[in-house]
Amino acid sequence: MGFSLANIDRRVFYWILFIALMVPFLNPIGFPIKIAENTRDLYEGITEDSVEPGDVWVINFGYGVSAWPECHPGVTVCAKALLREGAHVILMGPHTDVELTYKHLLDTAKEDFDAATYGEDYVFLGYITGGESAIAQLASNMRSVYPTDHFATQLDDIPMMQDVNTWHDVSGVLSSDTGDWGGYFLTQWQEPYGVPMAQIGIAMLGSTGIPRWLAGNYFGMSVGSRGGAELEMLIGEPGDAIIAMDSISVSHLLIVIAVIVANVGLLLERGRRS
Amino acid sequence: MSQMLKREVVYAITGIVTVIMFLEYFFFPESQAWAEIIRTWSVIIYNISLGLGAVRLTMAHSMNVQRRRENWAFSGVLLAGLAIMLLTGLAGYFMTGQQTNNAIYNWLFNWVYTPLGATLYPITGFYIFSAAYRAFRARNIDAALMLIAGCFVILSNAPVGEALWIGFATVGEWFRFTGQVPGMRTFALVGTLGMIAYGFRALLGKERGFYAGGEE
Repeated sequence: MGFSLANIDRRVFYWILFIALMVPFLNPIGFPIKIAENTRDLYEGITEDSVEPGDVWVINFGYGVSAWPECHPGVTVCAKALLREGAHVILMGPHTDVELTYKHLLDTAKEDFDAATYGEDYVFLGYITGGESAIAQLASNMRSVYPTDHFATQLDDIPMMQDVNTWHDVSGVLSSDTGDWGGYFLTQWQEPYGVPMAQIGIAMLGSTGIPRWLAGNYFGMSVGSRGGAELEMLIGEPGDAIIAMDSISVSHLLIVIAVIVANVGLLLERGRRS
Repeated sequence: MSQMLKREVVYAITGIVTVIMFLEYFFFPESQAWAEIIRTWSVIIYNISLGLGAVRLTMAHSMNVQRRRENWAFSGVLLAGLAIMLLTGLAGYFMTGQQTNNAIYNWLFNWVYTPLGATLYPITGFYIFSAAYRAFRARNIDAALMLIAGCFVILSNAPVGEALWIGFATVGEWFRFTGQVPGMRTFALVGTLGMIAYGFRALLGKERGFYAGGEE
């Protein structure tokens, strides 16, 4: 049996991808990145006139460790931007590894968190369960869901949380998601009460999130690693997402080449048979 | 009596809860103390279900190990992992009041869980690459159209696409916005209407799966 373009062993593809991905890490290419309107809207919604010092913002870590490459760069930029505007940030998340993500954020936005004070500028409420009901309950009574922060301090004893207990006290929500949690904030915070919200989602969530951004439910949206890279460009601090863009370029291009090779092989086989 | 508990009481509770939550959400937001109590209970029940899930998981995998079923070794690894994380977490909690103040627990989380989690997505990249080659074949005109659209969207999402030809970005964005958004809106609306219809059917007792795990 001879070689056929339509039947190449899958291990060949694994090796091609593995070797090809090495190239941008060893020798960065640096393709120019165009900033999408939805990402720009997100950035403008959390900077300058959109945020007043003392405003309280919720950042929901709706992603686990496995989605760090896609979601975390965007969250890092947003946390930096909000802290630089003097906003107070509430951090929380529905994944069991939320503490790791919180610690990772303290590391990736180190300078900004070092300059801020825990309990006064930001607070980590920790893990949340209860699905959409819990998010609805957060809007009406945060203390019934989180009597304490992650470190077992009563919310009443945290200076930043003294006057924060309902959606009235929150200026906006940023939900970074791999799944449904942004949708819960949408139906329980944004739609009934008009709380401004934006999503920092994995690339797959672009298809559900973009219609919401176009409808005005989200004031902005960052889609996948690309969105993170665009946010890094906007804040002017290149980070992990911009580095990853070269790998994304190589892998995406290889997928298209694989599709072309497969279909050329298919056509050749058909020609041979006929 | 048990049949009554299984059906009528479930329906009665569901009906009362539905009416309260419906009225609160659409007509009296923030003014219904009952709705708040129900939501609090919902969160508590959800948390209890997590514990119940852990117990059920332990029972099912213990049986796998005990009876040496297929892949029983994986069940053993799961049980060992569950026990180690539970015990180290609890030990840290009882000693310091914080479950995360335990060195073993932190080490396992930082140096086992994190690398494994971070590896998960990149591995899918390899599968997607070979799957794209094996599955994306233009066997008919519909498949060909989908493939062409997909290639444009893929290249518009990667900076290399614009570098090769600016048209990839323009056409890809057209597919993403003009092409995709109406479809997703229709999907969302139809899905929501379906959920409402399901809710009414459940309340009227026409959905068997709604109570007692679908048993008669």
